[in-house]
Amino acid sequence: MPRYVMVIDQSRCIGCMSCVVACKRENDVPPEQYRTRVVEMVRGEFPRLRTEMRSELCNHCDDPPCVHICPTGASHQEKDGTVQIDRRKCVGCKACITACPYDVRYINEEHGYADKCSFCQHRLKEGKEPACVATCVGRSRIFGDLDDPNSEVSQLLRENSWRVLKPEVGTKPHVYYINQFPRKS
Amino acid sequence: MAFSRRNFLKLAAMSAGSTLIADTPFLSTRARAEAEGGNVRYVATSCEMCFWKCGVIAKVQKNKKGEDVVVKLEGNPFHPQSNGKLCARGQAGIGQLYDEDRLKKPMIRTGERGDGQYKEVSWEEALDYTVEKLKAVVDKYGPHAVAMMSHGSPGDYFTNLLMAMGSGNIAFPSFAQCKGIRDVAWELTFGHKPGSSCERVDLKNSKVIVLFGTHLGENMHNSQNQEFAEAVGRGAKIICVDPRYSTAAAKASLWLPIKPGTDMALLLTWINLIISNGWYDKEYVEQYTVGFEELKEAVKGYTVEWCAKETELHEADIIEAAKDLGRYAPNVMIHPGRHVAWYGDDTQRSRAMAIINAILGSWGREGGIWLPPKGKLAGFNDGIPEYPIPDEDPIIKGNYPFAGGEGLTQVVRDVTITGKPYPIKAWFVCGTNLMKSLPAPELTRKAIDSLDFIVAVDLLPTDTVMMADVILPECTYLERHDGLFKIETRETGVAIRQPAIEPMGESKPAWWIGSELCKRMGHPEYAVKDSSMDDLQAWEKRMRRQAKAWGIDFDKLADEGYITIPDSEAPYITPENQPVFKTPSKKIELFSSELDEKHFDPIPKYEKVEPPPEGMYRLVYGRSPVHTFSRTINDQWLWELQKENQVWLNTKEAARLGLKDNQYVVLENQDKVVSNKVLVKVTERIRQDCVYMVHGFGQNSKRLTRAYNKGADDQQLITRYKVDPITGGTGMRVNFVTIKEA
Amino acid sequence: MELHIVGTNAITYPAMHVWDWRVASYLFLGGLSGGLMIMSAVNYIRPKNGQNADTLNAWKIPVLIPILLTIGLIFLNLDLERKLHAFWFYLTFKPVSPMSWGAWIVLIIYPLLIAYALAALPDNITRTIKYPTIRNWADALKPHLLKLAKVNIIAGVLLAIYTGILLSSLVARPLWNSPILPVLFLTSGMSTGAALMIILAKTKEMKLFFTKIDIWLIMAELLILVLMFYGHYVGDAVHQQAIAPFFSTSHEFFPYFLSIVVLGICLPLAVVLKFLEVTGEHTEELTTSSLLMMNFSALLVLVGGAVIRFALVYAGQLSGYSSYL
Repeated sequence: MPRYVMVIDQSRCIGCMSCVVACKRENDVPPEQYRTRVVEMVRGEFPRLRTEMRSELCNHCDDPPCVHICPTGASHQEKDGTVQIDRRKCVGCKACITACPYDVRYINEEHGYADKCSFCQHRLKEGKEPACVATCVGRSRIFGDLDDPNSEVSQLLRENSWRVLKPEVGTKPHVYYINQFPRKS
Repeated sequence: MAFSRRNFLKLAAMSAGSTLIADTPFLSTRARAEAEGGNVRYVATSCEMCFWKCGVIAKVQKNKKGEDVVVKLEGNPFHPQSNGKLCARGQAGIGQLYDEDRLKKPMIRTGERGDGQYKEVSWEEALDYTVEKLKAVVDKYGPHAVAMMSHGSPGDYFTNLLMAMGSGNIAFPSFAQCKGIRDVAWELTFGHKPGSSCERVDLKNSKVIVLFGTHLGENMHNSQNQEFAEAVGRGAKIICVDPRYSTAAAKASLWLPIKPGTDMALLLTWINLIISNGWYDKEYVEQYTVGFEELKEAVKGYTVEWCAKETELHEADIIEAAKDLGRYAPNVMIHPGRHVAWYGDDTQRSRAMAIINAILGSWGREGGIWLPPKGKLAGFNDGIPEYPIPDEDPIIKGNYPFAGGEGLTQVVRDVTITGKPYPIKAWFVCGTNLMKSLPAPELTRKAIDSLDFIVAVDLLPTDTVMMADVILPECTYLERHDGLFKIETRETGVAIRQPAIEPMGESKPAWWIGSELCKRMGHPEYAVKDSSMDDLQAWEKRMRRQAKAWGIDFDKLADEGYITIPDSEAPYITPENQPVFKTPSKKIELFSSELDEKHFDPIPKYEKVEPPPEGMYRLVYGRSPVHTFSRTINDQWLWELQKENQVWLNTKEAARLGLKDNQYVVLENQDKVVSNKVLVKVTERIRQDCVYMVHGFGQNSKRLTRAYNKGADDQQLITRYKVDPITGGTGMRVNFVTIKEA
Repeated sequence: MELHIVGTNAITYPAMHVWDWRVASYLFLGGLSGGLMIMSAVNYIRPKNGQNADTLNAWKIPVLIPILLTIGLIFLNLDLERKLHAFWFYLTFKPVSPMSWGAWIVLIIYPLLIAYALAALPDNITRTIKYPTIRNWADALKPHLLKLAKVNIIAGVLLAIYTGILLSSLVARPLWNSPILPVLFLTSGMSTGAALMIILAKTKEMKLFFTKIDIWLIMAELLILVLMFYGHYVGDAVHQQAIAPFFSTSHEFFPYFLSIVVLGICLPLAVVLKFLEVTGEHTEELTTSSLLMMNFSALLVLVGGAVIRFALVYAGQLSGYSSYL
């Protein structure tokens, strides 16, 4: 069984928002709602500035608070490590939304169920990468199987120092960030 | 190109239990649909959300009513402009397709020009009315009294119509308002444009990349940005010269926040540094260039101390950049840029950029500017007769000796207003929102008011469309054929545009509109062969004939969307692959004999630009990664990402003016033109002497329900422009504004 | 730092604030029901309870509890985005989900509450019941009232505490993520329960009894409340920030500031009034002013209980770990 993870090379993100739109169209995300977002943080004073670009999405945590809180088992962890939602079982109690430290869940207003990034589960089944990864212009998003030592993600996590978002909440995310800033050569 | 393929293979291999897509990771559209069980259709076509023409794969499914619906767009992995990826705009093409504000039926104006009152009519009526009005103009003033301005694919068909009628008054804003100036400058230097389908910049292999105002990341040309990110990821040195800390500056090793308008001082100083320190490629200069001694002499006076004062940059930074260029030459480049119509001296600035590339030997070198691909394709006109010679010379080049064949839109406008040397009384406006693309929009309006007749062919009711007498609704790129397109990247290739679904409403492909008008104007021999009112397949047949003439398998092209012309890739200079310079001297002209002949400076010189008056800021504008000028502003999926623009103002200036971040302000320019209210972004990311805003917002057309009245229009504030005497380009960064609370 | 976000999160999209007055109302009514279960049971169980005279009124409380809980559950149901799917609560049991526990606790409590109410019905009421089955049930349960009352104490504690456990389990919301929160909710539920007992009781003896109980409970509640804020105050940055809205004077956080002011007035004032009552000399029948004072102080306690739930539900969702530092 694969263990799917995403590695985000922040230095390569050029803030083009392609992932955001691709995700919305692939997954029919309603207007004004998002499964992924792009954050730009600029620190410093003119003319000495430094920018961190970062795309964020569901971390598919190993220890997912949204799954723990879910009263019906709608939010669950699959064997491949991804966190998924069984829409049938969702009662729309929103506990998972408040439980998520990463603000990545939302209620689909038309149907009422909680929703979020699925790592494009339907595409994975077809042997395709998630839509955001497939279209990532800067190749900042890299997706793959951590159980395969030869996969690009495994290599990247071996060879780079990485971090996860909000490690202090103990969720053990499966989205890893490398190269917080572009190299200054 | 290789990276995404490799990835895909791994994925295909590791996803157990799925339909394993064996050894060909990329499938043709037909094979792909079959692999997924046939409930879905994939159509390979070409994007037109901007003009990079990426290869697109449209996924089409039937909805509950049994209608075909485009559900997803993806980059075509075979196409070198997309490499399997699309930008945000490309992904949002569905938003344009299903925009409820789209023009659905032909319309004829019933009220006054600009008051927005129209009646919907049949195509028959609209075409007849158009022809009647055109004929009236032609009869009274001659065919040259009809002009056409266009951007994008529809232009071809109306160019054909006008040429058939005997008018050469055809102009594209992409020349004088954008990149034409740069093309001319590079032609004067190298005898080639710096690119056609894309700039021939070898970003992914470059060691030092210098960007002058080129805001990659915000100026989102797909493959170029892929390569830029690759360069950043590799750790290439990016030197970004820009008064604003752009996304590209954020990726740069060195950001040079230059005083606006002083780029030439920096360029000439760099040339001086590179020459005087011997950092240039001596062998290359010897072998391929002429005029080196004159250049050396001409730049002598441009010292670092002087430059630092002029540009307000640090001496150490100026030297560091030049040193790095020298150290890593020839695997370095000064990016030629794209929109270069800044200050009216733009040909010379572009020349200076070309010259640095030349003396560093980057033309034809890895990491520099790659050589044009080989693989010529024969001309194809489907056997139409030669166009008649216009009885009056076209006025589109004005009095600018180096104006290009794309023409000068502002000259067409001026002639329309003055009637000299002859009257222009009818306009075709195809796929361009002139009110938002030409400087001094009040003159555009004045010209439109003086016309007898104006036709607009477009997708959406833009400001300009809503001034037309007749509106002819074009269908989007996802509903029509266009092409075949010759794509020149490192290789030569051919791409196709073909409909993913039938045109919505009564919209029609531009080729059909042009062809029907040709027939009705009495020039059926220039119409698309075997076309008729109710046949939208005639263009496909023409494409087949074209493919045959080019020796290309049309069915394969239609299936895969892009075909490479074999052995066309020869990017770098080798003993066997020697560059050809189409200049008078057959060499790189550091000293331009052509400019000299026309009494222009043969080597660029520094001239000061007018500084902002006390208390005013220079207005600088640019692009957003999610919008193409004003064309995409109403697209639902892009609109929601950026509903209005902001004006960037330095923190210190904001404090002085008592303005807070994200409050509404208005701008007033030197001619007392006041903008729409606009949010101010108080930021450290810009110099104190200028303000910046994204172009394309502040739509005046109420029929654009999402975009109407959102944000401010920079073009409205660009009431002045400085014309480049060499090419006729319109320098637009010569306007100044004040800011106050809204 | 200049922060620019495209997409939704708590910063760009205030509607991430997903639990509103409906959930807060449920938490209040659930706590109140739990408190009433405990208090009414105490009333039956305590020694020397003159069951005779007060029975006339004491029975109304067991009847009231399922009604209050139902209203609370209606509020909760109003909050569910997919009400028709609510049956899924009972097709699964998720041992780690306090919410799943809550759903099952409510399911078990309902029959208990109904049995309790039937058992508590006085004979003159039982006789008027039209359905013989229910009448028979009531008659059969009557002898078991005390046993039911004892079970109700345990069930009441569970009901009152689980909502606090639910919120405190959310690591993402530092304001809630405190083990003292369930204790606060339990104490507050019990004190509001006692307060309602005071209002509904008929006899002087019973009113004074619950007034005494409530004094202890309110003091405990105040102590816990102060300790909770202290715990956040001495905690890490996110916990410090979590309580910041309550002490901010900006207009954005005015409701939170106001809630602290209200709590700071209501609860101590209630304690003072109650002290005056229990230490005061009372005639055989309570005077009107004494009754008013008692009821008013009880009302203050109820208001305080509601304010605690509303303030914590809303403020908790403002709190969070920021990754934009």
